[in-house]
Amino acid sequence: MSGPAWRDSHGRPAEFPGDMSSQEEEEEGDCDAEASGLDSRSSASSDTDLEPEWLDSVQRNGELFYLELSEDEEESLLPETQTVNHVRFSEKEVIIEEDDTRERKKYEPKLKRFTKILKSKKLLPKRYHKKNSSDNGPVSILKHQSNQKTGVTVQQRYKDVTIYINPKKLTVIKAREQLKLLEVLVGIIHQTKWSWRRSGKQANGERLVVHGLSPGGSAMKSGQVLVGDVLVAVNDVDVTSENIERVLSCIPGPMQVKLTFENAYAVKKETAQPKKRKTQSSTNDLVKLLCGSETDSIQHGILDTPHITMYLTLQIQSEVSKEEQEILYHYPVSEASQKLKSVRGIFLTLCDMLESVTGTQVTSSSLHLNGKQIHVAFLKESDKLLLIGLPAEEVPLPQLRNMIEDTAQTLKFMYGSLDSAFCQVENTPHLDHFFSLFFQRALQPDKLHLSASLSAQQYDAASAVLLDSLPGVRWLTLPQELKVELDTVLSDLEAADFEELSEDYYDMRRLYTILGSSLFYKGYLVCSHLPKDDIVEIAAYCRQYCLLPLAAKQRIGQLIIWREVFPQHHLQPPADSDTEVFQEPKGRYFLLIVGLRHYMLSVLLEAGGCTSKATGNPGPDCIYVDQARTTLHQLEGIDSRIEERLASSPGLCLSCADWFLAAPHEKADNLTTSPILNRLQGSTKTVTSPTCRRTFFSDYSFKTRKPSPSRSSGGYEPGEGGEGVVPSPHTTPAAVRKQRESNGSEDSMALLKLARKKSTLPNPFHLGNSKKELSDKELEVYNTMKLTSGPENTLFHYVALETVQGIFITPTHEEVAQLGGSVHAQLIKNFHQCCLSIRAIFQQTLKEENRKVLRGEDHSESADSMSSLTAVKEHGVLFECSPENWTDQKKTPPVMAYWVVGRLFLHPKPQELYVCFHDSVTEIAIEMAFKLFFGLTL
Amino acid sequence: MGDEGAGSTVHLLCLAASSGVPLFCRSSCGGAPSRQQLPFSVIGSLNGVHMFGQNLDVQLNSARTEDTTVVLIVGLEELTNIRNVERLKKELRASYCLIDSFLGNSELIGDLTQCVDCVIPPEGSFMQETLSGFAEATGTAFVSLLVSGRVVAATEGWWRLGMPEAVLLPWLVGSLPPQAARDYPVYLPHGSPTVPHRLLTLTLLRGLELCLLCGPRPPLSQLDPQLLERWWQPLLEPLRACLPLGPRVLPEGFPLHSDILGLLLLHLDLRRCLFTVEPSRNKEPSPEQRRRLLRNFYTLVATTHFSPEPGPTEKEEDEAHPAQSPRACYLVLGPGEGWRLVALQLGLRLLLLMLSPQSPTHGLRSLATHTLQALTPFL
Repeated sequence: MSGPAWRDSHGRPAEFPGDMSSQEEEEEGDCDAEASGLDSRSSASSDTDLEPEWLDSVQRNGELFYLELSEDEEESLLPETQTVNHVRFSEKEVIIEEDDTRERKKYEPKLKRFTKILKSKKLLPKRYHKKNSSDNGPVSILKHQSNQKTGVTVQQRYKDVTIYINPKKLTVIKAREQLKLLEVLVGIIHQTKWSWRRSGKQANGERLVVHGLSPGGSAMKSGQVLVGDVLVAVNDVDVTSENIERVLSCIPGPMQVKLTFENAYAVKKETAQPKKRKTQSSTNDLVKLLCGSETDSIQHGILDTPHITMYLTLQIQSEVSKEEQEILYHYPVSEASQKLKSVRGIFLTLCDMLESVTGTQVTSSSLHLNGKQIHVAFLKESDKLLLIGLPAEEVPLPQLRNMIEDTAQTLKFMYGSLDSAFCQVENTPHLDHFFSLFFQRALQPDKLHLSASLSAQQYDAASAVLLDSLPGVRWLTLPQELKVELDTVLSDLEAADFEELSEDYYDMRRLYTILGSSLFYKGYLVCSHLPKDDIVEIAAYCRQYCLLPLAAKQRIGQLIIWREVFPQHHLQPPADSDTEVFQEPKGRYFLLIVGLRHYMLSVLLEAGGCTSKATGNPGPDCIYVDQARTTLHQLEGIDSRIEERLASSPGLCLSCADWFLAAPHEKADNLTTSPILNRLQGSTKTVTSPTCRRTFFSDYSFKTRKPSPSRSSGGYEPGEGGEGVVPSPHTTPAAVRKQRESNGSEDSMALLKLARKKSTLPNPFHLGNSKKELSDKELEVYNTMKLTSGPENTLFHYVALETVQGIFITPTHEEVAQLGGSVHAQLIKNFHQCCLSIRAIFQQTLKEENRKVLRGEDHSESADSMSSLTAVKEHGVLFECSPENWTDQKKTPPVMAYWVVGRLFLHPKPQELYVCFHDSVTEIAIEMAFKLFFGLTL
Repeated sequence: MGDEGAGSTVHLLCLAASSGVPLFCRSSCGGAPSRQQLPFSVIGSLNGVHMFGQNLDVQLNSARTEDTTVVLIVGLEELTNIRNVERLKKELRASYCLIDSFLGNSELIGDLTQCVDCVIPPEGSFMQETLSGFAEATGTAFVSLLVSGRVVAATEGWWRLGMPEAVLLPWLVGSLPPQAARDYPVYLPHGSPTVPHRLLTLTLLRGLELCLLCGPRPPLSQLDPQLLERWWQPLLEPLRACLPLGPRVLPEGFPLHSDILGLLLLHLDLRRCLFTVEPSRNKEPSPEQRRRLLRNFYTLVATTHFSPEPGPTEKEEDEAHPAQSPRACYLVLGPGEGWRLVALQLGLRLLLLMLSPQSPTHGLRSLATHTLQALTPFL
């Protein structure tokens, strides 16, 4: 699909892909033509907005983390936080010698040159000084306080003025030849000196003195901009007369823009002092974005909790005895963490001593500090030691173990090895950011404003304990047609035969091979063409940066991430030297993530295999970014269908725990009065006709359920056909009984299901989830509405992990929200905590099993493993709960008992299943597992 | 004090925290005492770690390595004022026997559960009466009848003993080499940590001992064979029947489901427990393995699901309101044989069972409930 067809999220025509290629075509010359190309481009493109808005954010090492919120999100966020809308991670520019940069340029492949040209036009270094509450200066920031006169604290040299800019209203004017965006958009009149115009490009340009304010313009409205002020920065980007138009043209849509002025009075004084720059890093931008305005208080709360991560070396050069030389990296620097840092000697000694005594590596230790128990997890790699310490009451030990492994995996994915991550100074700000997010998630998961609704947020916080450490990605099963559609779209992208990428087009080798891509929708993996190891690593990366929940809440106007990655699966040395076996090329790998609304597309690229070798630190290539974006735009129509599937899972029907806590007599009432009985009775006739059944299968979907009506009503409007399937447990037993009476020969479950089908209305979206190649019999299993056996639906919750494909399924946020219920929320929380401890046992079993495989033993159990609990395949815990705030003193509160059962399957492939069901029916985990895993394929 | 295991080797190391002088070091390999010692550098490092942390107000509790080796470092109570280290070392030798029995593979479980190991005697009430009468006659309130370290019957006074000593006294008697009679000085860690008491033991039958805890009176000589004969001769048959109860715990013919391979019943308030791995002796696995499995299962259950201490549990429940309290749990071992382990808590009683593989998982709970109900009158 070609570019020009779509518009970006701000309605601005996105012309640059097309333009760019034509530009590129003209510039077939050698690299030295760069300068002229640059000129021609800038003249030609002055009004076409050629440069992608993210380009300025690309860092010297090629990495890009560009996040732009969607417009409505922006509006909701701005009044409270006043943050700049672009989250950029280029805070600490790494200074690379000039000649080095030049040298690199020579090797740059042609396709990328264009990007480079744009990049070389990069404006002056950005300034980041963020607003603290204390840093607001004398000038009010709120735009609507226009009456307030400037604070006129003369001593203040700089002032920040936030004004609202809407480039949309200018699109008509824009066509005119000479743009004066500063005047039109901001309302500031600046007369460029003739001499400057003449001399063309000056390195520094001219200071932007406000010569006048255009009437009715934003600047005048703000009442804070005075004639004589000097505009020095826009959104912390230094501006001069030379670059102001370009900077302003980068503003993609209506938004608040921060203008920094040098006060008129101060200018006159002309103090020679350099601007005092805030060295505060902007690493907390994402945290701020995720937490909203409470960031500061949250962070203070966190700082009081002792927590630490350290990377220590066990080999200390004795000749240079520097203080703390064994610490290669540590975070955070806080009072509470200081103590943990000071006892690092203990960890080093333990690590050394225990390994020599026991022959195995130390994994964790617990210690008491200021009356708090702290767990410290160890991860030793060669002669380095990674430590993470967190309070026991916040993070149980099994979770901490998982977290440190997860962290190490992600860091290796990002940097290749722990050494290269921690031992390079330029990574430090990135790591600080990484770990600030990490501890934020670990210590205050419920404070992160990630989820769309309160219930979803509770669900997220409760389930993170377990789900974050599963070696898999949350998967959403989709109907077959939809899946095929998504597969096709992704395959088209992966084929990379679009015009700009074909090798003939530029008569040169491709830059990258697309190894595979995967598509997330609202944080659910909906389609993946990546091997398990890659998708798990990519998902872990996204999780660490909270990207998946971000997408769930439509906060993304545009997200582009580009970085070199080190997928361990591809970089492993070949196991055998057999030439017949496929050998991984010695290439480099790049991860491109493009987000748009609820979609997120991650693409894994390989350079150096059958494509040209990557040199230096290549930045994101426009063509690949645009193709990924185009792909996402192609998918725009599908989201309503995915949405529908999110709201109603195809196979499983859940019950809410609160329903089971009701008094028994009410239950009986409901059973007798339920109008659904009549309908079911009437519909059983259709069952006898198999042909009719088949048509239903292929053409009709069934709306699984609606948000449950209050259970006391018990009735369902007969007019609503979609109500055939009811989430209430009370109706089913009676229904089944009736069915048995009317037709004893058939399987009652199938009958019930078919009866439901009959009662549904045809769905305009044609959303059947039938697998046509399956026989009817199998189909019934696939479509089973109930996971549990017995007449009542007793399933509360489930998590099923499929390790071969690296996915897991669990009820969606929507499904859980539909159930509601305060007891149910507690149950879900308890379920996940319990599963964590069950899983800790399974992990030992798996480890033991791996060890056995390595030793080449069969399944004859050694005496040792038999008497320890290292071989467990099923573990169940029965819980009792009663409603909270039981006020009735006379009666004892009703009690509901439920099982949390975990089952580990080793053969034929490792799978893990965790279910939570009511105690009334005895369940056999294997049967439930069969039903859950059946038909679960990527 | 340090405690550490590598593979099946367990080292118990006791250091004076202030000086770092090793007080004693006991090792056991696969349940039997071994001569293998920790290298001195390791001892030094352990002490160094402890000292270093203490200076910074940080106390290291434990460390784990991959094969779940546990290092426990507990600061030695500074209660005992060590004046002469060498003399203390000599004095500590007297307790080696007891310490080694903790490190070894004991048939008892009181060390782990902190509950007194008991047996269910036939004609229990008759025995109880006799014991009370005997106690009155000898003028001691603390009398019990033990069979290989397990309590058959005891006076009210004996049951009122505080926690460490209630478990330790029978354990000590069980670990000492057989003797017809003993007069043994003991300190009671809870009841009388500084003033020693006398523990008198009298062997009635081989393995069956009568224990008295008393002050200066009565002298051992007062407990002459005539006195014993007068009180215990009438009970000779029931006493004989008690002898095999050592490992079996439950009386002959007690109706136990045939799937049950091992059983542990705890009364959390009385702090008593029944522990046996004798049912269906002829089946796999060996009693030794069953014991270890049940011990491991108890550890798992007590640490992750049911907290044995009533105190902390209540606190947690307050936090997680409404109470999502665990009632039962089960474990299926795999991938091979598939023995089942089930735990069930009803009121103050906690029952752990080990079951054979043919027992269906969905029936585990009812089986445990029935067994618990059958055992309730006894404990």
